[in-house]
Amino acid sequence: MAESTYADREIQLVIFKLGREDYGISILQVQEIKRILDITRVPNSPDFIKGVINLRGSVLPVIDLKKRLQLPPTDYTEDTRIIIVKVEEIAVGLIVDAVSEVTTLSGENIEPPTTVVGGVSAQYLSGVGKQDDNLLILLNLTAIVGLGAEVGKAG
Amino acid sequence: MELNQYMGMFLEESREHLQTLNRCLLSLENDPRNLSVLDEIFRSAHTIKGMSATMGFTAIAELTHEMENVLDLLRKGQLKASPAIIDTLFKCLDTLEQSVESIASNSEATVDIKPLVAKLIKLAAGKDQEEAAPAAAATKAATPVVATSSGITLNDTEIDVIKAASRQGYAAYEVQVGLREGCLLKSARAYMVMNALDELGDVIKSVPPAEELEKENFDYSFSVVALSDAEPEKVQQALLAISEIESATVLPLAIPDAAPAAAAAPAIKPAAAPEVRPEAEVPAAKLDAPPTADAPLAADKKVRGGQSVRVDIDKLDTLLNLVGELVINKTRLEQIGLSHRLTDLTETIEQMDRVTTDLQAVVMKVRMVPVGQVFNRFPRMVRDLSRDLNKEVNLIIQGEETELDRTVIDEIGDPLVHLLRNAIDHGIESPAEREAKGKNPVGEIRLIARHEGNNVIIMVEDDGAGVNPEVVKQKALEKGMITQAEAEKMDAAEAVRLLFLPGFSTAKVVTDVSGRGVGMDAVKTKIESLGGMVDVETKVNEGSRFKIRLPLTLAIIQALLVKVCEEIYAIPLGSIDSTINITPGDIKTIQNQEVILLRGQIIPIVRLGNVLGVPESGNEGAEELYVVIVHMGEQKAGVIVDTLIGQQEIVIKSLGKLLASIKVLAGATILGDGRVALILDVGSIMQ
Repeated sequence: MAESTYADREIQLVIFKLGREDYGISILQVQEIKRILDITRVPNSPDFIKGVINLRGSVLPVIDLKKRLQLPPTDYTEDTRIIIVKVEEIAVGLIVDAVSEVTTLSGENIEPPTTVVGGVSAQYLSGVGKQDDNLLILLNLTAIVGLGAEVGKAG
Repeated sequence: MELNQYMGMFLEESREHLQTLNRCLLSLENDPRNLSVLDEIFRSAHTIKGMSATMGFTAIAELTHEMENVLDLLRKGQLKASPAIIDTLFKCLDTLEQSVESIASNSEATVDIKPLVAKLIKLAAGKDQEEAAPAAAATKAATPVVATSSGITLNDTEIDVIKAASRQGYAAYEVQVGLREGCLLKSARAYMVMNALDELGDVIKSVPPAEELEKENFDYSFSVVALSDAEPEKVQQALLAISEIESATVLPLAIPDAAPAAAAAPAIKPAAAPEVRPEAEVPAAKLDAPPTADAPLAADKKVRGGQSVRVDIDKLDTLLNLVGELVINKTRLEQIGLSHRLTDLTETIEQMDRVTTDLQAVVMKVRMVPVGQVFNRFPRMVRDLSRDLNKEVNLIIQGEETELDRTVIDEIGDPLVHLLRNAIDHGIESPAEREAKGKNPVGEIRLIARHEGNNVIIMVEDDGAGVNPEVVKQKALEKGMITQAEAEKMDAAEAVRLLFLPGFSTAKVVTDVSGRGVGMDAVKTKIESLGGMVDVETKVNEGSRFKIRLPLTLAIIQALLVKVCEEIYAIPLGSIDSTINITPGDIKTIQNQEVILLRGQIIPIVRLGNVLGVPESGNEGAEELYVVIVHMGEQKAGVIVDTLIGQQEIVIKSLGKLLASIKVLAGATILGDGRVALILDVGSIMQ
């Protein structure tokens, strides 16, 4: 998977906040960033699926990223955003607390996820990036979107 | 001439004609005296011959040519449509189909037509020995080749064709065409000449041959032997009307040995034809019809050809999406007009509404195809299979005009083939067995299509042996697919449904049981992937009925919008019976199931809020409840909602791969205000 093998090249990341932590996903996977929209609840869907939104005529599912990563919930604020990403041809929205910046990281500053313990369950991680004093948690979007059997089971 | 651009057209048209041939041959088999069917067969074969010759597929042209000879004899009653002949013709069709498909797949494999051609020639000659006067046979031997004044040599078959045509009032002409010196696009002129002659009759031969003409391998003149019922002057005029044609001489072509008939032919018009063959006045009078009937039909075809366009299905999909967007935006404008009370806007939108509705209807219609397209290939299959199995089967097709979306049509063929094969193989008994049971020895299979609400129902019924639920149960037990306890609890209908389980379909089991099952799970999977359902009803010794329910896959439908608490859902209007108001007191319970009594019918109640897990259902203390009566087939249910918003047309959007497995939802739609509303799947709500 592209996102778990960062190798030696430089990658551009979109950095966003969940709670007090900084997270990053590859900018190549990000389609756009939207303010919070009307979200329609989808009955019998997994609990981390917040619902569906209308993005210029197509209907996209939206994932509550904090719920997915088992982080404590917080209310939406002015800064809350939906990041529209595309994973294996499927477009999905991710709700995040705030989008802070776009940054470039070189491969040597990224540690594989196995060396990190705690917090987010490791299966959703693809690595940890070091940027000055900051630590960036890099997400494995394929696992987060849950392209597999897991989503099928209604919550 | 660059022919590649015509390839697609050639293939499509050939396939169409092959289908027609198949269909017509089947009806000819049932009714060998039906002349109009023979004419249709003749026309189709002739068209294929013409097209393939133009495209340079000589093998196909040769085979169809020989077929025509035999068909012509049939048409004139000189040959009887015996099983041997029909079988040979069917074989020809198969060979033609193979050839066309190998052309389509660009494969080099050539189909060997020689044995069939030989057989056809023998069949055609068979008549000579039987019926024709010995004199004719003698002439035949004496003059295998005829040379015309301009040096065109005609072989046996060609002479035969001319003779045959002259008996029908067609005259053979030798046409010499001269092109203007320095004329450009010689091949195109030659093509136009051939076309003109084809319109007036039939081109038999050209010197140089058609391929050479196409390659412009000729000077400024060429010769053609053609048949026509028009007078020579008319033929000449038609040719001179083509630009860059310098001269055209049309001379009646006399076949020395064809005796008076051919010699007299040029002067004889169709009406006079009976005189040519006084010994067969009655059939000749009938035969007189073909040439005249031919003309309007052929003309008809041409007109249609000019007015229809073949379109890539992807483009239609895009068009449909765009129309969908338009409908959504229209709804949005409607709401703006209403909420701001803008009369001008509302009026304009009403106008626009009509246009979008029409537009939508047209786009839908373009995508709809009659199921007949799929059904057409089954009579042949049923015929062949029942012959192989020594069974007698009568296939009855109903509702072939029922229309389905093209995407569904493409997929539905295979499951139906399975079901029909099963019906013949396992359903219908052998004639002896049937007689022993006191049934008509000829089995009956019905293939029926019809609309039902927003669905299309396709049924495969047979009056065969039926499926014994006990035997099925026993087999399932043996295979360890169910437990003893489960088996005991199962009623007959459930037991028969075991047939659809994967793993039940190993061939051995099926033949032993003599029940159904070959690939039934595959049938089920396929139908479900199309958003449909399949079910079976069966009675031992009376037969079985497989019922397939398919959505029309209309992307835009009429729906009733309802509110449950604050959430809005859409229920497709096609599955709604009516809406009623009830009071909480009207709800009774039977074995813990809530029901209401509606016009004497007991209808189970579904509380939508509960099914959908809506956080707070607001109708707890309500005095009045809104119930939407929905139906799925014969089954009905009452769905309790909080508010009815109203009827609206909605554009169905997919929920995407991620949410596809959620059962109670059939998709989503976008409302006028831009919000997303979910579409309920009535079928799964009722379960």
